[in-house]
Amino acid sequence: MAYFKIDNDIADSEYLPAFSLTIDDSWITSLYSDTDMQAELAKILQSNGKISVFDFQDGLYKRLTVEDNITFYHKWFGFDTPIPEILVLFELHTCAKTPLHKCSESEIRRVYFARYYMSGMNPMVFREPIHGVDIKTINTFIHMIEKIKNNNVPVLVLVSNMEHALLLGEMAYKLQEKGIRKIETDEEEEQTAAENSTPTVTTNLFKVPAKVDDKMILFDPLEIDYIESQDGKAMIVIEDQSYALDFTLGEVEKKLEIYGFYRCHRSYIVNLQKVREIITWSKNTYSLRIDNKSQSTIPLSRNKIQDIQEKFSLK
Amino acid sequence: MHIQRITAIFEKDLKDFMKNMMLLTLPLIPVVLALLYTRMGEGNEAFPVFLLYIIVGTTYSAVTSSSMMTMMAEENEKKTLRGLIQSPATMMDVIIGKSLVTGLITFIALAVSLVIVDIEPFLNFRVILGLILLFLFFLLLGIGIGLFTKSIAATSVYLMPVMFLFGFTPMFEMLGLNEDSIALKVADALPIMQAIEIHHTTSWIPLGIIAVWVVGAALSMYVCFKKTMTDE
Repeated sequence: MAYFKIDNDIADSEYLPAFSLTIDDSWITSLYSDTDMQAELAKILQSNGKISVFDFQDGLYKRLTVEDNITFYHKWFGFDTPIPEILVLFELHTCAKTPLHKCSESEIRRVYFARYYMSGMNPMVFREPIHGVDIKTINTFIHMIEKIKNNNVPVLVLVSNMEHALLLGEMAYKLQEKGIRKIETDEEEEQTAAENSTPTVTTNLFKVPAKVDDKMILFDPLEIDYIESQDGKAMIVIEDQSYALDFTLGEVEKKLEIYGFYRCHRSYIVNLQKVREIITWSKNTYSLRIDNKSQSTIPLSRNKIQDIQEKFSLK
Repeated sequence: MHIQRITAIFEKDLKDFMKNMMLLTLPLIPVVLALLYTRMGEGNEAFPVFLLYIIVGTTYSAVTSSSMMTMMAEENEKKTLRGLIQSPATMMDVIIGKSLVTGLITFIALAVSLVIVDIEPFLNFRVILGLILLFLFFLLLGIGIGLFTKSIAATSVYLMPVMFLFGFTPMFEMLGLNEDSIALKVADALPIMQAIEIHHTTSWIPLGIIAVWVVGAALSMYVCFKKTMTDE
């Protein structure tokens, strides 16, 4: 079993809390933090830990075709798998003859994936690997880190988006000023919430009160996109704006159930009216795509998929 | 040294060269110059040696030094080598791979332009040895500058002195300076002038002086190399 450890010797910085994290090769680890902390962490990993962080900032050869780029890196790193296989693995065979400057953002990202994959680095640390790319590319990435894990190389993914952390990491952590905390991913204590669900009689008039500075804003349940949990507090998200609630997620769930809201994940409640698409990722994980401006995706627990399919087919 | 890496860089840069208009026009400069000179000539009159060496100097400064600098500066500017270079040895592989591309292009440009004018005076062992030493001198100069330039735009600034001082030395004769002036004496010691000297004497001294220049260029390149490797 291979592993590496980030502790105070490496992560010695005034911007970062003291923490220690062991990344081993049996789980893909994802680390959620805000962008400032992530930048600081990437910097110290590179300078103190001598670990190269794959941040997609290094250049590719823009004038050359996708295939020429892959051929070069393949030869440079002395990688064994034949080139056509690499092209197929990263879904690049359709654009193999296109010069890079004519490729889409997602295609270029997949060339980066291929390059990092062939580099044979150990461990592999990725920074924001699936930010702003299409579903196909996200799937390729999931495939790739699965493969890397099977080669017994530890993988760490740094993200600043909770959905991505939950989608990519089998072990997800959250880094804040207070320190590091594991994010419970799935299953487990579902029962506690289900036990005392005495149906509360609600009046027809129901608004969700949220605090913004000193003001109390009342939201119509139907305009809410979804609700996520942050540090035990529920946050409602409407068109990418989030507002803090005074309830826990469990309390909100009970109140909003009758308005077509559904607890699709331990830390998410979704407005089913706004779900546009159920995305199935390659390793049997699911996400829900919300019909809002940024088309945000939120995670859907594996054990909830049956439930949600039933819900939709009944309607 | 790692043969596989060198060939990887060689193949990549050769493909890139063919697609880069900026580099592709460089070898055309001496060829066009050669064509111009043949039109200017008076028919079957032999070419003066110093004119031939203006073409040689142009080839080496505009093709060898310039393309080497540009290729290395582009890698620096676009950070394409980040993550590929783990040790000074891998950097050396990159430099060797690029030198091979530059060597190939220079050879083609030089051969074509000399055939156009008059290749006869060059078919001599000592002269060819002189040309090879000159090539090494300009190549090492290009590598040295390429190592520390951070952008392609900056290369043109560095290229100017290389071109005028080392590339166009024979033209100093035409400036109408006094025979005894210090400028001319200094110019006479520059590598291209020594290469012309090879044609006039049978002594090996000019070759020796060029060799000293090559060693000098190699030393300056080594200093640049050490400096850039410790910077990162």
